[in-house]
Amino acid sequence: MTSRFQQAKQRRAERAPITAHGSINLVPLVDVLTSIVFFSLLTYQGNAMAALTSFDLTLPPVVINTPEQAQSVKREEDVLNLLLAVRVDNGGMLVEHSGGGGFHHRIDGVDDAALDRLQALMTDIRTQYPQNSDVLVIPADDVNYDTIVRVLERLRIARFAGIALGTRERAASAAPRGGR
Amino acid sequence: MSRGRAMRAQRRAEQFAKFRITQLNLVPLVDAMTAIVFFALTVSTVGALAPVVPGVTLPESRVGNPAFQQLTLGIGAQITVGGHPVMNTVDAARARSTDPAQPLLIPRLYDALRQTADSLRRVKHAAASAPVPAVLAIQGDRTMRYDLLSRVMQTARMAGFRDLTLQVARSEAPLPGATTTPVRAEP
Repeated sequence: MTSRFQQAKQRRAERAPITAHGSINLVPLVDVLTSIVFFSLLTYQGNAMAALTSFDLTLPPVVINTPEQAQSVKREEDVLNLLLAVRVDNGGMLVEHSGGGGFHHRIDGVDDAALDRLQALMTDIRTQYPQNSDVLVIPADDVNYDTIVRVLERLRIARFAGIALGTRERAASAAPRGGR
Repeated sequence: MSRGRAMRAQRRAEQFAKFRITQLNLVPLVDAMTAIVFFALTVSTVGALAPVVPGVTLPESRVGNPAFQQLTLGIGAQITVGGHPVMNTVDAARARSTDPAQPLLIPRLYDALRQTADSLRRVKHAAASAPVPAVLAIQGDRTMRYDLLSRVMQTARMAGFRDLTLQVARSEAPLPGATTTPVRAEP
């Protein structure tokens, strides 16, 4: 016959694992916090991370003048059948292409309304010439970068994938070699 | 059961308890592994994204490709290549080319880009005359004029960077309608 003392001791022994030390087990919490601190320190770069987007630029098309240049073209798809350009200055935009004997359309201004018209026009051109997805953008020297990006954005919305930035022809103003 | 037998039974139980295999507590292991997997996934996606060059206010766009971490050319108050300042932007805009055939060339920037291009070619075992097997990302301030941007791009291409990308801030504003005031593209 087990004594009452023994029975009580047995019951305490059975309950012991459940209420061990009478406190919450903090080990997992410490483990997780250690991992978080470690990886946070590891990945901190000190730079502002922001959601960025990018416009991949293609090289402007080359006009073929000689038979040698023509021989260097490997595939038929490399030959553009439509030369399409958007000239941008602070007063507006001029859309030109070589289709149908030549096309010129001036859009005044570079504000949102003008950009909406540009987008509609470029979407229409893209629909008319579905095989052509390249466009050359030629900004004037004094156009600021923000305006250029807004134009590129509208061209991308109009489903032009190959966007090239060109430069207007200008006089050479080079310093003599060795000088600055 | 006598008291002596009960004592013997308890001593035997205590002896067996000494050799009992202790159960492993797997909860901390699972917690730690969860944290590691979470951070590994975060690093693999966020860590590959491009950081913004300090001191540059980027223009915004609602469309474009995802911008990944590339060799970055920053154009703010200074022109930086890979985070290292190369020259003052005003000096770059005023710099005169040393090559009459390339009037847009910025000599000091060309030297820095050429050095970077050569080291990239060495790392990737590319020929010295081959285009640089890497994309050059340009992060320019929104107030920059195009004449400077065109000079920077031309200088980069002369240094061997054929693949250029313009990195801008992504805007969450809604896309504009595509059919406002349609214009027929008739020649």
